Amino acid sequence: MPASYAHRHGLRALGAGIGLRRDFYEALPRTERALDWVEIIPENFLTLGGRTQRALDACRERWSVLPHGVGLNIGGPDALDEDYVSRLSALVRRVDAPFFSDHLCYSRLGGVHLHDLLPLPFTEAAVEHVVPRVREVMARVGRPFLLENPSYYAKMPGGTLAEADFLRHVVEQADCGLLLDVNNVYVNAMNHGYDARAFVDALPLERVVQIHLAGHEVRPDVLIDTHGASVCDEVWALYRYTIARTGAVSTLIEWDQDIPSLDAVLDEADRARGVLREELRR
Amino acid sequence: MTPELKHFFDSMGAYFEGVPEGVGLERLYAAHPGWQTPRTRTALYGGFVRGHVRGALEKLFPLSRHAVGEAAWDALVEEYTRTRPARHYEINRLGEAFPAHVADRVEALGLAPHVPALARFEWADFAVFASEEVAPEVVERLTANPTLTVLEHAFRICAHVRAGDARKVPDAGEELALLWRHPGQLATFYMEATPSALLVLKMAVEGLTAEHVAAATGMSEAQVRADVVRFARDGLVLLPPESK
Repeated sequence: MPASYAHRHGLRALGAGIGLRRDFYEALPRTERALDWVEIIPENFLTLGGRTQRALDACRERWSVLPHGVGLNIGGPDALDEDYVSRLSALVRRVDAPFFSDHLCYSRLGGVHLHDLLPLPFTEAAVEHVVPRVREVMARVGRPFLLENPSYYAKMPGGTLAEADFLRHVVEQADCGLLLDVNNVYVNAMNHGYDARAFVDALPLERVVQIHLAGHEVRPDVLIDTHGASVCDEVWALYRYTIARTGAVSTLIEWDQDIPSLDAVLDEADRARGVLREELRR
Repeated sequence: MTPELKHFFDSMGAYFEGVPEGVGLERLYAAHPGWQTPRTRTALYGGFVRGHVRGALEKLFPLSRHAVGEAAWDALVEEYTRTRPARHYEINRLGEAFPAHVADRVEALGLAPHVPALARFEWADFAVFASEEVAPEVVERLTANPTLTVLEHAFRICAHVRAGDARKVPDAGEELALLWRHPGQLATFYMEATPSALLVLKMAVEGLTAEHVAAATGMSEAQVRADVVRFARDGLVLLPPESK
């Protein structure tokens, strides 16, 4: 197995984290519960002042802060947004993030921000389009970068590659890390009828630096990646399966809709921390 | 980018541009013969993208929404989604042009005449709350709060918002509304401009002392100082340390 991306870049596993969301701006910095690191959605901190910045500063005093974007538009046809990348770079340095991340998707067309994580066709052409953009972002920000496997509900037209091969080609050719969203793997496996564990086995696991866990909504004909519920048992099982192969990696509990109490989210982080400790003891 | 990939993005762009769901979806599939993915799955994305716009507007403009009623609100949101797409990566910024859109549609949708002013107030409330301006921790002289925003309208919007019942119509009457972010609480404060508030702001902007103002207006110096302290406590103006 080649040297891991984390090892090459001196990135250590941080433990279990949760997202700094608006509901927690006051309570999270004051919590006495265990928490290892905090993730932020940079779009919420690039241009918004006031309470958002105060909450960020308060968290930064206590924990490592990792920016995980939704607006980079790494796969889109538009040129990278100069203002966005400049501000993102400044934010990464301000919080001294060891790495940052976004999604392997597109989110802007013709200058219009669609504010969604839209799937690319699984093609060599898309790989060739994305790879130089990833390299450009990494060069401009100057920190290790991870791409997340997004959830998707519709296979885009013209696809010629298997999803795992598409992911592998992009991260290997761009030489970036992989943020493996285990809930996304489960949701995609259920929605597209494949084996989630076989999918994990097909990924370049030596590039996994971070894992996301989240809840989803079960509709009659499709699972929707809502980040609006607790992590289901099947996803916890897939998480255990994954870290048995990747080793303990930084793990985030994502909760963005129908957000419960801070304690409820931290309970989920405790559970992830317990699984990570079990892995370290193996 | 290959022609095939460009074609893909062009077709998705046309789909998201706001063409009615059924027609837009059929055009999208017609652009990709042989595409087997169920239409219901692809249509989820059209719903998500529109839903993000609606969700942001409903968070930013709750009073305006209640003031116009659901049917007019739906029309406003649909038209806005089609005609004024989001041009900024921060999702709340998509609401910036909404008050102007509401103003353009007053007659066509039969909206109450105060609604554009209410929408403008709600946007200013958010813009002040999220302003990138940072109030300095220490000032050398009386200073206006850097987040201060002034709105002028023909309705008593401040009292209307304070009452919290968007179904009622505000009283008519010229109003200068002041909105600012309190430097300690970081919440939006607002008030209808009063002579004493405007006087304290004038002192801050023009560097006038309480002695100058007392001499020029006939007010007692103690009263002027009391007004300054009161508005500084509310964060409208910032006081130098020796004046606190």
